[in-house]
Amino acid sequence: MKNKVLILFLILFVSAASYAQLDRSKKPAPGPAPEIKLGDYESFTLKNGLKVFVVTNKKIPKVAFNLIIDRDPILEGKNAGYINAAGQLMRTGTKTRTKDKLDEEIDFIGASINTSSSGVYAQSLKKHVNKLLELMSDIVLNPNFTQEELDKIVKQTLSGLAAEKDDPNAISGNVKSILYYGKDHPYGEPMTEETVKTITLDMCKEYYGTYFKQNITYLAVVGDITKSEAQKLVEKYFSKWESKDVSTKTYETPKAPVINKVSIVDRSNSVQSVIALGYPIELKVGSEGAIKVSLLNTILGGSFASRLNQNLREKNGFTYGAGSSFSSDEYIGSFTASTTVRNSATDSAITEILNEIKKIRAEKVSDDELQLTKNYMTGNFARSLENPQTIANFAVNIERYNLPKDYYKNYLKTLNAVTSDELLTTAKKYVKPNNMHILVVGNGEEVAKNLSKFSVSNKVDYYDLYGNPVDPSAKKLPAGLTAEQVLNRYIEVIGGKENMLKVQDKTTKLSGTVQGMNLTLTISQKEPNKLYQFIDAGVFQQKVLFDGVKGRTESMGQVQDMPAEQLEEMKMQASVHTILKYDELGIKTELTGMESINGKDAYKITLTSPSGKKSTYFYASDSGLLIRTMSSVSTPQGTFNQTTDMDDYRDVQGVKYPFKMSQSFGPQTIDLTVTSVEVNTGLSDSLFEIK
Amino acid sequence: MKNKLVILVIFFSYLIVNAQTRKIDFTQYDLSNGMHVILHKDNVLPIVAITLTYHVGSKNEDPERTGFAHFFEHLMFEGSANIERGQFDKLNQGAGGTMNASTSQDRTFYYQIFPSNQLELGFWMESERLLQLKIDSIGVETQRKVVKEERKQRYDNQPYGSILEETFERAYKVHPYKWMPIGSVQYIDQAKTEEFMEFYKKFYIPQNVTLSIAGDIDIAKTKELIQKYFGDIPKGVSDIKKIELVEPPMKEEVRDTVFDNIQLPLVLHAYRIPAQGTPDFYALDMLGSVLAGGQSSRLYKSIVDKQQKAVNIGSIPFPLEHPGLFIAYGITNVGISADDLEKAIQEEIDKVKKELITENEYQKLRNQTENDFVNANSTVVGVATSLANYHVYYGDANLINTEINRYLKVTREDIKRVANKYLNSENRVVLYYLPKSAKK
Repeated sequence: MKNKVLILFLILFVSAASYAQLDRSKKPAPGPAPEIKLGDYESFTLKNGLKVFVVTNKKIPKVAFNLIIDRDPILEGKNAGYINAAGQLMRTGTKTRTKDKLDEEIDFIGASINTSSSGVYAQSLKKHVNKLLELMSDIVLNPNFTQEELDKIVKQTLSGLAAEKDDPNAISGNVKSILYYGKDHPYGEPMTEETVKTITLDMCKEYYGTYFKQNITYLAVVGDITKSEAQKLVEKYFSKWESKDVSTKTYETPKAPVINKVSIVDRSNSVQSVIALGYPIELKVGSEGAIKVSLLNTILGGSFASRLNQNLREKNGFTYGAGSSFSSDEYIGSFTASTTVRNSATDSAITEILNEIKKIRAEKVSDDELQLTKNYMTGNFARSLENPQTIANFAVNIERYNLPKDYYKNYLKTLNAVTSDELLTTAKKYVKPNNMHILVVGNGEEVAKNLSKFSVSNKVDYYDLYGNPVDPSAKKLPAGLTAEQVLNRYIEVIGGKENMLKVQDKTTKLSGTVQGMNLTLTISQKEPNKLYQFIDAGVFQQKVLFDGVKGRTESMGQVQDMPAEQLEEMKMQASVHTILKYDELGIKTELTGMESINGKDAYKITLTSPSGKKSTYFYASDSGLLIRTMSSVSTPQGTFNQTTDMDDYRDVQGVKYPFKMSQSFGPQTIDLTVTSVEVNTGLSDSLFEIK
Repeated sequence: MKNKLVILVIFFSYLIVNAQTRKIDFTQYDLSNGMHVILHKDNVLPIVAITLTYHVGSKNEDPERTGFAHFFEHLMFEGSANIERGQFDKLNQGAGGTMNASTSQDRTFYYQIFPSNQLELGFWMESERLLQLKIDSIGVETQRKVVKEERKQRYDNQPYGSILEETFERAYKVHPYKWMPIGSVQYIDQAKTEEFMEFYKKFYIPQNVTLSIAGDIDIAKTKELIQKYFGDIPKGVSDIKKIELVEPPMKEEVRDTVFDNIQLPLVLHAYRIPAQGTPDFYALDMLGSVLAGGQSSRLYKSIVDKQQKAVNIGSIPFPLEHPGLFIAYGITNVGISADDLEKAIQEEIDKVKKELITENEYQKLRNQTENDFVNANSTVVGVATSLANYHVYYGDANLINTEINRYLKVTREDIKRVANKYLNSENRVVLYYLPKSAKK
């Protein structure tokens, strides 16, 4: 008895001890690596040439049929969209089934059948497979194209195009294709409202009649079905499908740009920039370099732990995610690094992407990083096998791209044999940091100015949604509008001439910061043209005086009289209502255009002083308010361009003034808030006196 | 004699149908600290999915800290006492894994999928962040920025991106469903490191988590490893309080317009409905299919195909643990007004309220339901997730095999009844999304 208790105690003690022994600081070692076995596929070919691959997988009682038309890309030109329309028309009825009947029969068995210009996909429960193939083959062999259904498709497509106009990712994708491949390549030509409207039923019929032929088609059968079952069904339903020779097509191979090019699509309401950097590249599916390129890309931007995501997201917090991809393609592939970032981080994000791209081309990847990436890709490969379609895709690729029969069986072996030296060679061949398109879809006003540095020509090209070059400043002015009307409207919205003329003097106090220093500014004006201005930035103080004739600047003990040029500016600015005196002062006004200012459409008025000096004023088209002025200012230090943005208009005794101003002066920006505006306080002339 | 044969054949095919639906076997138990464990073995491929469902979501948040549960989810990748900051995702990927997480109104969900020989690594990582998560100010500040970009990317810079947020804030006045898991920027900005640690101590405790594993495992060995890594994690001090807030019924229709950066107007009806798992919810789910499941469905056939008033249409009950919403929406075709589309949708809703669906439609609905149910569990991570959800929300993981019966129990009369009970104007929010250019 005693012993037994002791043993019990021991067991308790031992088991307790074994928990206490868990050393959490040590990462557990993996067990022996499991073998990843590739499932098999079987194949057969119908008499007329249809190549069929069967992957049997009984995990769930479903069967899927994927029919793939293998043809060269087609340039649609001014009818771009007709191939898509033909693909959609396939699903709108057959010789014996109206669209209603077809929809009803497909839904009734809980199945789905999707058609496109390059094939048909159908799936259902195993028990409905006969019915499924009856419907699918009817769609493939006997489609009935009608004008009524085409009209519906055209209408839907036009709506889809309209919706894309406000989708920044769609815009980026469309314009990127145009930049990479050009509008004269099937991969680059844009589908627009104009091209879609030209589509005819005959075009669609001709497309179907030329390309839906069994001799250029693969059929992948996947799921709870054996080869003999599949063969019986496919022979029954597809052997009557005809064959016909299809001609091949060739296109000029798109090239990466010779120098880096920066392009922007201005979307004035964007709160983030959608960024894409890349170029077209020759990289064939299953080619010798494809696995190495895939490894390289995984390190650069192909996973959460990749360099791009770690840098832009985890280190800098610019974005929710960043990544890159190489796409391999029989005709022309591509490389793209992409991310979506807040407006203010746009140029920093591009800088970091370029840094990572340059780095992977310049430095060997460490053995550790290489091994971890191989592990990750091995895991990906294993996980991809959960979807039985993967094996079917392998089978089709081997046949379609003429790959070695054991290409995918050897995939992991080939992957794991890649060395860091080979990877560097691959990077030098495929990574082109000096031949890139840099595309930003975003708020042009906020982001464009910092982008020209990425362009070798120092130029940023603007494009519209369809990849047409545009002049960013060119907006259409309403017909018949004059400068006088714009100015009169402004006078009216800020309070009217009568109220403005009541103001005889005005003192405005502002505060802000510049280069980390707090700053206060007092501006006093008195009719007809006296001005006093005092800037106090603690260590720095400056006083500007203008008595209507003479002017003077006093700063840190230095006194300077204004040169003639500056005096003329003062005459124009000193009045509290200069705008009412343009004629008197000899200032000419002209409506010179319309631009987007901080996302607002604004009329552009150019003012010319009697000496010929020009400045530009922007009035918002909706509110009528003055929102920006631009002029060159001469100072003792030289001439600077000065831009002042105005916002937050508030009423002071019947006249509205901006209470927020942002002034950029050369490289500096000062944000100013008006703390008070006082009018008609009876300012004494002595304030403006120059002694 | 002839008749008998027919009966026999029918009987036979019925048997085959049943045999086709794969039963998912699993083991489940509680650790002594209250953590619930579910194990499902599937040795087809050498991979394993480890999932942890923490029963905390945005509905557990302080109204002045909306977005907190989701923000915290980001911090769960920061590191722990034994895993340095920035190493979490590298450990996972370097071992051939993949991982992610998501936060809903009701729960926060984490998963890792590994080659099966790395199961123990997964347990180590997950037990580390449950037991001794470490967050510092660099991590919090970085993720604060990341989360704000996530919000912009998903809600603010996307056409119609704000639609659920706009809908839920009008459909609820009291219940925390009135905000979205992403939360508001203001509170994302205000959240402090100490508050995260309090949240962690309160909600990230063994009795509030379900560990669900599916894939290439040995059950006995896996149980041992779970005991080794999770067994000694102390039980949380206090259990989590149930949310008592009950949203009072709506008394009248709420109707509003949102002006967005869009081209095509959108119309949405959101009706208040019971929680997921209730008999009426299943009937409403099937009603959603009658209206918009497949191209022969009523809304699609009538409004997209025949009248061509919409490019896109949908109707679905939004599944939530507490009473939720049934949402029907459509995006107009070019040139169609929102009013016009709304009338067309309303006509179809009135029809299902007035007349029973046809026998043929009913059979179609059941076939569609069966197809969807079979599709649901085709991956190991899918199975692990479903098992956990069924346990967390209904206390019955075996619903993975039997929930279809709850659907098949729904009758034509039930569908008409729930349409009449819930799809009423005084019980809904109507939202129009119009282009900003339409704003006067």
